[in-house]
Amino acid sequence: MSAYPSIKTVEEFRQQPEEYQTAVRKIVRSHALNELYGAQVFDEPAIRLAPTPYAKWLTCRVAMEEYHHHVRFKELADQIGVRPEEMDLRQKRPLNIFEVPLESWEQFCVIKMLGDLAEILQVEDLLHCSFVPLRNIARTTMPEEKFHAQFGLDFCVDLVETEEGRAKVQRAVNGFFPEVPKFFGAAGSKNNELYRKYGIKLRSNEDMRADYIARAKATVEPLGIKLP
Amino acid sequence: MTEAWFSALGEPLGEDERSEVDGYLAGLGLKAPLRAVKTWDEAAARCRAPSDDWWRREEDERERLERSARLDPADPEWLALNDVLHGAAAVAAARAGCADQALIRVAAGSASYAAYQARLAHAAGAAEGHPFLRKYALYCGGRWPLGVYHGEFSIF
Repeated sequence: MSAYPSIKTVEEFRQQPEEYQTAVRKIVRSHALNELYGAQVFDEPAIRLAPTPYAKWLTCRVAMEEYHHHVRFKELADQIGVRPEEMDLRQKRPLNIFEVPLESWEQFCVIKMLGDLAEILQVEDLLHCSFVPLRNIARTTMPEEKFHAQFGLDFCVDLVETEEGRAKVQRAVNGFFPEVPKFFGAAGSKNNELYRKYGIKLRSNEDMRADYIARAKATVEPLGIKLP
Repeated sequence: MTEAWFSALGEPLGEDERSEVDGYLAGLGLKAPLRAVKTWDEAAARCRAPSDDWWRREEDERERLERSARLDPADPEWLALNDVLHGAAAVAAARAGCADQALIRVAAGSASYAAYQARLAHAAGAAEGHPFLRKYALYCGGRWPLGVYHGEFSIF
């Protein structure tokens, strides 16, 4: 882990090297946008697809939690000087993971199970971030992210009880999973090198991607599902 | 007004609450006998059943209202209300010995959805007595209206 000192406040942040500030802004902006995209393109539309009021209301609560995560990151983005145009969804193309069209409840459950697992890894990497306000948002967000992934897993467990359900879950995994490893960024990334230099993140993109694939495999195999 | 979120779950229903339910159902073009749910487990079992006709009628009305009004789901004041609802559901569940985190979120999510529907009705200029306002009044009074299942309107 980097020996970079803890930066406890936004005022201290402003006294850090420009390179540090830019790196933190990139990460905060990325999380703020990802949380918003996720809520808009997956969680909110999934309320309509959910099969029962229980599932619909649970999805509604999950959507509200994702919007709240967006707001937490967005507030920090505003405080550390991320420009409003950088937060404008009309000007920023979403990550590939958010361009998968949501078409079924089974697909949504798979997205929560495997997509939120990817988010958990990203947030885990910030739990010891040198910028304490960002570290604290990650720590506040983490229990809810874990619940969202568990939500996806629990519904997938129910779905695979029938052969038809298992086939639908497998199809959804086949369609969604190949997009997720790209979510961790390029190998040999210069940005990631800076994040580690300044103790903002702990691991390389390659390490995180390998860990994700192993954890995703361990998640789906007990369900009789294979990663493509 | 002080809302009593989830504070009257399982308590006997008053006449004014029965009247609110009748008005709510009539506003959606429904008529159903009332079933008073007594426990969190029973509430969970009820809302795990499909309820397509009732839900479709609410959704049709929501979609109609959304053609004339839109709300920001990331509005901080709105998100703060959602946290209050989740906290109230958690407290009510704990008092009843229920520690099911998913079910607590289901209750909170249902209240959030009702709050959204009521705000939407207000924003669209709906008249007093609109079914979404009636349902929301039941939440404000500490109830959890669960919907129509097997021909009965269930309320906790």
